[in-house]
Amino acid sequence: MGRLNRSHLIEAVVWLLIVAVFYAYSFEFNQPIEIYIFGATAWPRVVIALLLIATIGNVYYQYKNGSDSQSGIVGATPDQDDGADFSDSSTLLRMLAVLFTPFVFAWLLKPVGIYFSAPFFIAAIMWLFGERRWKAILIMTLVIYAIFIGLFLVVLNAPLPQGNTSPFYDFSAWILTMNTKLQAMW
Amino acid sequence: MIENFLAGSAALFGDPFTIGIFVFGVIGGMLFGAIPGVSMLTLAAILLPFTASLEPAQGVMLFAVIYCTGTYGGAITAILFNIPGSPENAPTAFDGYPMTQKGESGKAVGAAVLCSAIGGIASALVMMAATEPLANWAIQNIGPPEIFALVFFGLAVASSVGARTIWKGWMSVLIGLLISTIGQDPVGGINRYNFGLTDLAAGIAFVPAILGFFAVSEIFVQAERTAAGKYKAPKVSMAFPSFLELWMHKFAVLRSILVGFFCGILPGIGATLAAFMGYGEAVRWSKNKEEFGKGKLEGVISSETANNAATGAAMIPLLALGLPGGALTAMMVAVFQMHDLQPGPLVFYTSPDLIWVVFAAMFYANLSILIIGVIETKTILNLLKIPFQFLAPLILMLATIGAYISRGLVLDVIVMFLAGILGYLLRRTGFSIPGIVLGLILGTIGEQNFAQGMQMVHYDLGTYFSRPICSVLIAAGTLTLLTSVYKAFAPAKKPA
Repeated sequence: MGRLNRSHLIEAVVWLLIVAVFYAYSFEFNQPIEIYIFGATAWPRVVIALLLIATIGNVYYQYKNGSDSQSGIVGATPDQDDGADFSDSSTLLRMLAVLFTPFVFAWLLKPVGIYFSAPFFIAAIMWLFGERRWKAILIMTLVIYAIFIGLFLVVLNAPLPQGNTSPFYDFSAWILTMNTKLQAMW
Repeated sequence: MIENFLAGSAALFGDPFTIGIFVFGVIGGMLFGAIPGVSMLTLAAILLPFTASLEPAQGVMLFAVIYCTGTYGGAITAILFNIPGSPENAPTAFDGYPMTQKGESGKAVGAAVLCSAIGGIASALVMMAATEPLANWAIQNIGPPEIFALVFFGLAVASSVGARTIWKGWMSVLIGLLISTIGQDPVGGINRYNFGLTDLAAGIAFVPAILGFFAVSEIFVQAERTAAGKYKAPKVSMAFPSFLELWMHKFAVLRSILVGFFCGILPGIGATLAAFMGYGEAVRWSKNKEEFGKGKLEGVISSETANNAATGAAMIPLLALGLPGGALTAMMVAVFQMHDLQPGPLVFYTSPDLIWVVFAAMFYANLSILIIGVIETKTILNLLKIPFQFLAPLILMLATIGAYISRGLVLDVIVMFLAGILGYLLRRTGFSIPGIVLGLILGTIGEQNFAQGMQMVHYDLGTYFSRPICSVLIAAGTLTLLTSVYKAFAPAKKPA
């Protein structure tokens, strides 16, 4: 096993899976192009082949040197010495929540819309970043929501997702109507 | 040149609305560069759709100004938080952040202000003198084979910068190239890798990808530090460096201007490679190499001079060849296209007014860094006292809107958060985020020009390589790759 450890093997498996999936999917569009003899698959397949070589090279390097940085490398990201200890389950759960809360927010944009979901998202992120004073969360949520509404709706009139399910769509429609009335006053 | 510059200046300052856009760009670029987690790219992404309602010269000028001031602004977050505002500010953090830890943040930021302005102004002057002749030459000498060769050379260099090993550098660039193949192929319009999602037929837009890889992943890194209880608020000091301290580094400034300008011309690399090489040369020429990385002022001076010196130079491949030198210049291509313009040699004949307004704006923007930068920086230093738990949701909201409004697709927001998670995991394991982004940006350009070039030479590689510029660039890229291969088998760095 040399200096390979479990995380190196997981990393290698993930990269090999990417190579395999992209190669397998390339048969889905393996059609000739009349004006171009290499077709639509040549370029991605060359990239996939080079990625495979680089992945194998990376595994070989890790087998010899473990996680050590290479000598003479310019601008390498420093080893993470200030990261969390994920053996503690509460830290791991909190980090997972930080990673996936934005996802939930993104998935909700279509049905619920940004105008309704934004305050909950803002408050949730503050809480996940360690803020526990509910008054601070409330006030800052209102401030950030006001900045968002003021800048993107009132000033810039940006078209943002309004949701497509009731009552969320109705809420977005109400906000937009209020904005129209506000604009009419000027 | 001087008449054109004066005409450009008159057009810039002759209209109050244009002046307003210029001032907005100067302050906005500095501000967004200086807020941790977001960057000039975030601001540019948010503003991109709104440039459609501006005059073409105003839209392109706004982005050019944001490019100049944002490149400087990103140094502030690099120095204060160890979070580069953009990839080109990454080497600034090597010595800037240790200076902050020693209570010398004002000195580091002050040096960044002055050296960014000097590098940028020098570069703007050379750009004004050299871009037009280069454009004339490019019309006659540059075609798809040369552009592909330039992309190849740029990516070969990019793969050797920013990752912990050469292998990971290559993997970073290649995964960026692979992501760029999602969507329609640039020759036959055949759908590739849409995985059954119709929205993916349009490909992965680079704005949400860039926001995810840089801004969102930064927030996740900070979240991890917060969860570990290791997040440290920066020590803020207002003591700027003395004239004598800066004068002692005059040769470092001059060297970084040359390095920055040379690197800026390379498409796809631009200011990022410039900053890394400027820093690397400073280390190489220094008598006290061991002091670098521990809070040496010369480290900040070298990288900040070089990256701003590259901003003007990066406009040469953009304007003369239509090749973006980085993420923000790639967005500038989109601004051109929104107004039915195509950057490239012909733009000097079709829209000379636009070009000189942009040149003049870049010159004055770099000058503004010196004047407004000092005042604004002191304000920003205070703004950064805002606790990160309040900044994080604001940054994520801005990024969400920036990702969504470019195409009006919720899928782009999902892609942004996916890129954020991917960027966070790849950073932890030593991959190069700038490498991925450059691969993503240059992938389609490279494939399209390779295909066009092969069609042009009727698939005859002999004809392809008989073109002198093409063969020189391919040889240079191959040499870079071979050097990388040699380095790839070099032993690892011994732990200190």
